[in-house]
Amino acid sequence: MKLFLRDQWPFAAFFLVQLILLIMIFALDGYWNESLMIYVMFLSIFFAGAFLVVRYLSHRTIYQRLSKPVESLEELTQTYGNSPLCRAMDDISQEQYRLYKEQLHAYENKQRDHTTFIQQWVHQMKTPISVIHLLLQNEDDPTAESVREEVDRIKRGLETVLYIARLDRFEQDFLIEPVTLRSLVQNVLAENKRLFIRNQVYPEVKVDENWRVESDDKWLAFVLNQLLTNAVRYSAGKSNKVTIRAYERGAHAILEVQDYGIGIPAEDIHRVFKPYFTGENGRKYPESTGMGLYLVKEICGRLHHGVEMESEVGEGTTVRIVLSAIVPTLQESKIAES
Amino acid sequence: MSTIMIVEDDPKINQLLQEQLEKYGFQTVNVEHFDRVMEVFTQSRPDLVLLDVNLPKFDGFYWCRQMRQESNCPILFISARESKMDQVMALENGADDYITKPFDYDVVLAKIRSQLRRAYGQYAPQEGERTVEVAGLKLFLERMELSMYETKIELSKKEALLLEALMNQHPRVVSRERLLEKLWDEQFVDENTLNVYITRVRSKLKDLGLEGAVETVRGSGYRLRATWEEGQ
Repeated sequence: MKLFLRDQWPFAAFFLVQLILLIMIFALDGYWNESLMIYVMFLSIFFAGAFLVVRYLSHRTIYQRLSKPVESLEELTQTYGNSPLCRAMDDISQEQYRLYKEQLHAYENKQRDHTTFIQQWVHQMKTPISVIHLLLQNEDDPTAESVREEVDRIKRGLETVLYIARLDRFEQDFLIEPVTLRSLVQNVLAENKRLFIRNQVYPEVKVDENWRVESDDKWLAFVLNQLLTNAVRYSAGKSNKVTIRAYERGAHAILEVQDYGIGIPAEDIHRVFKPYFTGENGRKYPESTGMGLYLVKEICGRLHHGVEMESEVGEGTTVRIVLSAIVPTLQESKIAES
Repeated sequence: MSTIMIVEDDPKINQLLQEQLEKYGFQTVNVEHFDRVMEVFTQSRPDLVLLDVNLPKFDGFYWCRQMRQESNCPILFISARESKMDQVMALENGADDYITKPFDYDVVLAKIRSQLRRAYGQYAPQEGERTVEVAGLKLFLERMELSMYETKIELSKKEALLLEALMNQHPRVVSRERLLEKLWDEQFVDENTLNVYITRVRSKLKDLGLEGAVETVRGSGYRLRATWEEGQ
């Protein structure tokens, strides 16, 4: 309404000036009939007013549209009415929408192709890694040991790439089911045993054997993997223990990874979950990509787990994953039933 | 002797698997033309199949379905894909288990053994027992026994693993890291525990009359020395 008034006031003003001018011309010429003049003025103003009202009603949608911001793309496809102006608006906004969608589709396709390519590439790389891995298994000399370490690093890197690529299609690739925390932790530890041994750091596991949580074991394992890698990396040379514990907090189960390493400076702690953020520690340790904790946060978010972090420089870092309630194990539920 | 069919299109993995399996007393059959997988399968009647998912022409899932029409033998998938969907697909198509690349020989062997045990039970043909021998000292890995001439002693699992590493590597040095890695299965093992196990192994060897056989090499690790032979 406001926009309409602002848009139409020059017309109304012009109309009134013209009306007064006409009446004055008649008056100056000597013709003056008061009641007729009032009648003429009334009629003119009435018709002009009626014109404006009709005009407003027929173009109302356009004015409303123009005066508030677009909230969704679908708004662009709405029709405005039947007047030529409305139809022109319809055409142009639909054309815009179509163009926009086309481009969006083009990008989506490109993105999808790219993701597929990355995934395929990572899988292709796994074959040579498997070969190297197998070749090295029966070798025991120091060179082999050192190559094994490098292969581990490549494996870890590829894994991260794969999980980043996969994050886009998360919805198709996860399954929430009861996960036994203890065995999950043990598997992840076993996967990383070389990392631990090489850095002379030893895990201390305080996880109840029976605890089960609702999660996706593959993604949760990846998250734990990232946390442990960080914990070991930032403990090396400073402390030789990393503690993994699970405990209850209210209705939640907490899975905690605590190290006694170098810690994270206070000014970095809120930014460590941002992608590509490496911070001060990242500069000291060249292997940081800044993606690990970002992925942890993203994945936990999608699994509806919370992430908490506490750290003090020189004291160590604690990361907690807040999981949903503990699922009673089969045995326990049987006991409860009987 | 169990026959294991390997369907894997990467020649190196194929060859390495084949060598490893044969070392542990399995007979292997492999496929060279991937449009004739079924012919090989029907002819060789394997006791177990190791099947890759990504294969030329048809994928592993397809071959798995084909094999299932003819046989109930255990089928283990080996694949670089580790998504839930792929694993579910594999099991849906009739596979018995799924191993992701890159894998360890130990894992493959353990899974093969467990599948064979489950499928053929006690009637399963006895696999050749793994033994390591260094100058008359013989280690039976499956039974966890160590023998010297006629004397035999029993070992714990960790002791057997330690001795296996030392004897395999004989006469070279095995690093502490390597030993720690070997011992770390479910429970991790730290440096002190390793020292304890080394002491135990030494005392077991002493029981067999072999003293000073495990030598500490400063800064790098341990070495098995056939001191008993040197003395003769």
